[in-house]
Formats: sequence, C-alpha cells, structure tokens
Amino acid sequence: MSRSVDVSTNERAYFIEGLKAGIRLNGRRFDEIRYPHNIHLSKEEYGYVELEWGKNKISVRVSSYIRKPFEDRPFEGIFNINCEINSMASAKFENGKNSDEEVLISRIIEKSIRRSNSLDLESLCIIAGEKVWNITVDLNFLNYDGNFIDIGCFGVMLALQHFKKPDISIINGGEDIIVHDINEREPQPLSILHVPVCLTYCFYNITNQQEVNIKGESTSDDIYLLDCDYKEDLLKSGSIIITLNKNREIIQLSKNGGIPIDASLLVDLALGSIKVVDELTDLMKKLIKDHEQQRFDELNLKLLQVGADR
Amino acid sequence: MTFKVRTSVLDNSDGSAELTTSDVKLIVSITGPIEPKPRQELPNVASLEIVVRPAVGLSTTREKVLEDKLRGMLQAVIVRHLYPRQLIQIIVQIQATPLSKHQGGAYSNHRDEVEYSNVELNAAINGCYFALVDAGIALYSSFASTCISITKPHEINDNQEYIIQPTLDQLNNSSSHHIICFSIEDKKATKLLLIDSLGEFTEEELFTVISKGVEQTELLHENYQRKYISDKIHNDYIWKS
Amino acid sequence: MSRMELYSPEGLRIDGRRWNELRRFESRINTHPNSCDGSSYVEQGNTKVICMVQGPMEPSSRSQADSAGATIEVNLSVASFSTFERKKRSKSEKRMVEMKATLERTFQQSVMCHLYPRTLISIDIHVLAQDGGLLASMANAVTLALIDAGVAMYDYVSCISVGLHDQTPLLDLNGLEEQDISTLTIGVIGKTEKLALLMLEDKMPLDHLESTLGIAIAATHRIRDLMDDEVRKHGNLRSSKLAKN
Repeated sequence: MSRSVDVSTNERAYFIEGLKAGIRLNGRRFDEIRYPHNIHLSKEEYGYVELEWGKNKISVRVSSYIRKPFEDRPFEGIFNINCEINSMASAKFENGKNSDEEVLISRIIEKSIRRSNSLDLESLCIIAGEKVWNITVDLNFLNYDGNFIDIGCFGVMLALQHFKKPDISIINGGEDIIVHDINEREPQPLSILHVPVCLTYCFYNITNQQEVNIKGESTSDDIYLLDCDYKEDLLKSGSIIITLNKNREIIQLSKNGGIPIDASLLVDLALGSIKVVDELTDLMKKLIKDHEQQRFDELNLKLLQVGADR
Repeated sequence: MTFKVRTSVLDNSDGSAELTTSDVKLIVSITGPIEPKPRQELPNVASLEIVVRPAVGLSTTREKVLEDKLRGMLQAVIVRHLYPRQLIQIIVQIQATPLSKHQGGAYSNHRDEVEYSNVELNAAINGCYFALVDAGIALYSSFASTCISITKPHEINDNQEYIIQPTLDQLNNSSSHHIICFSIEDKKATKLLLIDSLGEFTEEELFTVISKGVEQTELLHENYQRKYISDKIHNDYIWKS
Repeated sequence: MSRMELYSPEGLRIDGRRWNELRRFESRINTHPNSCDGSSYVEQGNTKVICMVQGPMEPSSRSQADSAGATIEVNLSVASFSTFERKKRSKSEKRMVEMKATLERTFQQSVMCHLYPRTLISIDIHVLAQDGGLLASMANAVTLALIDAGVAMYDYVSCISVGLHDQTPLLDLNGLEEQDISTLTIGVIGKTEKLALLMLEDKMPLDHLESTLGIAIAATHRIRDLMDDEVRKHGNLRSSKLAKN
C-alpha cells in the first residue's frame, strides 16, 4: 500500500456522473449509513469493545482509577479520551505526527462526548477535594474506511455504557475508602446523562464550478452523502458534522471549511438526522441490554436474587 | 494455554495478525516494503519503523523500550538487504494485558501495580511472526518466543518450580521471570535471538530456563506456526488443485 | 457564574445591549503597508485582532506547491495578555489547531485559488484581546486583509457568533455570555444564505436552530456592509491620492 492517496481525474468524473444519476459506487442510498457489525462486547473485561463499521475497525477501552481531583473542581471526577491515529489504520496517517485531520477527529469526539457532559462528572466524586474517579477512554483506530468520527463516537459511547466501576464504601467518617473486589460486590455502571451520536455528511459539487455554487440560488445542485467510505471521503468537497441526541438537542455542529452550504439545507439535514440518531441510540441500548442478560444468565445471578420483582 | 491467531484482519495493511493468549491480546500490522521518508532511508538495507501502542493511556518510555527490544530482535531475522532503500512499518497495538484483565477491567491502579512488560513483549514477538509471514516479508528463519517464571523458594524444602506462560498471580509470586526467543530452522531451535530476565536467579537456573525455552519454542513452532503456515498456503492456493 | 443575569426581563443584556444588537464593529485595512501585502485590524467589542497577508508568493517548501491552485496557510498567535488571566498558549493546543485548520479550509474555498497555481498565501493572525467571538473576528480580519492584498475572492466572508438564552437568540456574544450559554459561530459568503463556516460547541435544542441561524445570517450581512464601507473608504482615499499626483 502506498502512501499517496490520489484519485485520477477519470475516476473522479465517473464518481460524479454516478452521483448525478443518483447512484453511489457502494450501492447505498445517499442518506443510508453502514451499520456497525461484528460488535464484540468483552465478557472478561468491563468497558472493552471492538467493532467494525463498513471496513472501519476500532477497539475502545475504558479504564478507571482513583486520584485527587483538580483543585478548582473538587466535586468533579476526571474524564479524558485518548485517540491517537497511527499508520495501522491507513498509510495516510503518519506515526507520531498529529495531522490536522487527526486533531479535528479527536476534537470533535471530545466536544461531542466530554464537553457535552454526557458522562456525569459529579457522580464520579468519592470524597470532595480528596478522591475522585478518573475515567480514561482509549480509542484505537485499527482500520480506516472513511468516517472515523461517527464510528469513534459510537464506539466510545458503547464502551462507556458497557463499563462498570467497582463499588466503594467510605469508612472512618470519610477518612478512608474501601474498593470492593468485583467478586465481592457487583460493580456499578457509569451514570450517562445523554447519548450523543455524530453524523457526518459530505458534500459534492457536481457542477464543478465554484462560482455557481457560491452565487447560485438553487440548492438542487448540492449533493450530500451520509457516512462516506474511504473513496467518497477523498473526493468530497466539504463536510459537516452534526452531533445530536435523542432529546432533539444539537450537541455540536461543525463545518470546517469546504464548499458553502445553504442554511435551509443545514436545518433539513439536522431534522432528517433524528431518525438515524434514534436508530443508533436504540441499537446501543439493545446491545448493552442483550449483553447484560447474557452475563446474567451465564453467571446464574438469578440464584442470588431475593424477593419479588416489583 | 490459549494461543489463538487470526491473520489478514486489517484491510489497509499488507499483513496483520491478531494474537490472543491467555492474558494478552494484541494486533500487529505490517505495511511494507514502502517508500520511506528521506531521513529514514538506508542505502543498502530496509529500515524498520516499529511502533508499540499501549492498551491504556498514551505511549511512554516503557513503549519505547519495548520498541527497541523488538527492533533489535527483528533486525536479525528479517532479510533486510532484499529491500534496500525501503521501509517496513510494524505497528503493535496491545489491546489487553494481564493488568487490564485484573478486576475485570473495572479498576486498574497502574501506579501501584508492577507492570510485566515482558509478557507483552513475548506476545508481541509471537504476533510479529504471524504478521510478517502474512505480509510476505523475507525471513532468515522462523522464530518463537516463550515466557518462563521461577517461583519463590518453597518455605520448607526450598524447592523452586519453573512455570511456563505464567499468569499474573504466578508472576507476582515469582522470584524471576524470563522471556526467551529462539530462531527455528528445520523444526529445531538454533540461535538464541533474545533473552530478557527480570528478578533474582542463578546462572544454573538461567541455563535450565534456556533449555526449557528450547523445548517450548519448538513446541510452539510445531503446534501453531507450522500448522498455521500450511493452512495459509492451502487457503491461498486453493485454486491450485 | 451561572447565577448571573444574562438577559433581564426588560430585555437588556449584561453590557446593556438588546438581543439583536451587535457590538461596536471597527475595522481598518492596510494598517501595515510596508511589512506585508495586505493587512487589517478588526475590533469587535473588546476582541481585537490584527491580520497580515503575504502572497501569493513562491512557496518555501515544495510540498506547498499545488499545481491546481494556491495553498493557504494560516498562522495563529494569541498574545498571552489577550485574556484577563495571563497564560501562555501553545500553537499545538488542539483548540488552536482546530481554529487554524477551520480558517485554512474556509478560505481555500472562498479565495479564487485556481487563479494562483503553485503559490502560497500566508496569513498571520495576531490576537491582541479576547472577549468572545474570537473565531468570527479572526475570519472577518482575514477577509479584509485578503481584500487589501488584492487577492481575488468570490465575495466577503463575514462571520458572527450567536447564542441562545432560553428561547431568545442573543447576537454577537461577549466573553462573559459566551462562557455561560451555547454559542453558534457562522460565516456567510456575501449576501447569500450559504454557510462557509459553522461551529457550535455546546448543546442547543434542534427546534431553535432555524431561528438562531436566521438572526445570525442577517447579522453577517450587516457585518459585510460594515466591512464593505471600510474597504470603499480606503479605496476612495487611495484614488484621491492618485488623482493628486
């Protein structure tokens, strides 16, 4: 595999002609996403998830430990997301060098999840000013096939919901704590306030004339594709990333350059995304629920349950 | 002992292997030979770019040490003069370690626990072998690595035990542990490529460990590597009846 | 902080503006006629930005020479005295890299790059004071400096930030407001409704997006007029000097 990722003029023209006829080379509809598959929620470790999305492949690990909080925020736990991309994913990412694209990917994932407070930081506090949980998410991109942002966000949210931290007791009137072994007491899930879902739309200028795009009144020339693959991503002339949650809130919007898009189109896209967001959120919920059930059955926890179901 | 290998798991790399042993899981990807950056270029041999990425957190000096050990060993087995002025990228992504599995991944106090990087190195070497074969990079010989620990002397009779592929608990109760990597030609372990020992041990013990290492690596080669390669050839040439 | 009253029942904000009022917008172009090809100075309230443009010129490294069009490079420097708290800001901070990449990509599309193949347009931005709407002020300053440098553009890129307080959109947020409510920054090309730049960093109800965008677009058109006035004023000044000679 070579480092250079150029697309020939003919290939580009072929692709654009396809779009004009309403056809994507991968056979999807314009607003159809690839759904995640081969999802592996670890049974041995809490908060370890592997999944594929098209040919994208990622692994996410959540880990936790106890530390002293920051002085200016004594009541809040600490949460960070590491996502470095190396050349394992694709030769276009260089090792040890933070390219602009890489920074944008990690910034948007961070804005969508960390900045939007999707993890309740105050629930991570153990003793104010003394001890809080530090939650670290390691997001590893293993194979690249376009659209790392959407899949990264999905993976991190799935892993956060899968993760459990050990139960804790405070003793000696708030002096000391006991971290209970996971075999002794059932560990606790994190408190997730909302589940953000990122969706990336790529834009294509099919007239190939900038002037028309900027001055033109009609918006029918704009073609947008949801969830681009590797080649579509290379050929895009602009993109917009919308992060939404099920409560109809926009978490984050960003359009880092690229061809201008009409404001009304933006509103339409945002409204249209809600359906996909609902689907993906429900999918996550179902995955976690099924996994919990499986764990429950395997460990035979039913035997330990006392009392009637309310 | 679990030892599971899947290869060609990544589409964008020329060769890749996912290795799952009882306590370590990792993915190795190989890209190459490709065009290097001018400063990486060596006039008569291929240069190796090795990156080790930890399971938790960002790369530190620990990963740099692992990279260096791996490089020293791989330089001796890759036929580098076949690819002059080219680059071979080897990326090892560690996904699970004995420590991360401790407490079901729920609680990892890295600051308090001793990290057994050598267990990861051991898995990385074995993973590299399958990835290099998958990528079709020329090797002088096969190689395999194993980890052996020596338990603390028994309280009563001073007996010490040798444990092959120790678990985290066994490592915590050992007086020393060693990783041994041999090159293998004609099903026989020939040259010692790498040995890394940690802890307190005598010369005599070390020799025992090495001879056990010969046994183990030959076993590994016989049971897994040979089988894997014959399966791979069979699958790759499935059209050739 | 959040206990501060951002929008009083009488409809006044902390600095006395109403919801739909911009802050004072001052701009100058050609502020550094000798040291660069185009320069500008923009004040949006208490946010103050200087921008200098060099080029189109020969790129220093071959990787920047693109045979299809000019390469645009943005260098951001934020003075340590630009905020109340003196803090050294490194260029490699993720937020900085993001803003730099956003500006580069925005102007790559709004400058007629195909007219200047194999050249580099280098844009230096210096932030002297920050009080909200930083990205917007920077984009406005770049537009003016590019115009001063005589670089061909499709139209003005005018930028503004809008916030949403409960249900009311608040135009052109200052630093205090920006800390507390979600901010949407948009950049519009000329007098169209085409968005060249878009950034929203905090939560906003989906159903209020349309009204917020509407007021923001109207504001960018106003900013465009203000910038246009300054450019024309400067143009007249120059042509009158030419006429004298």
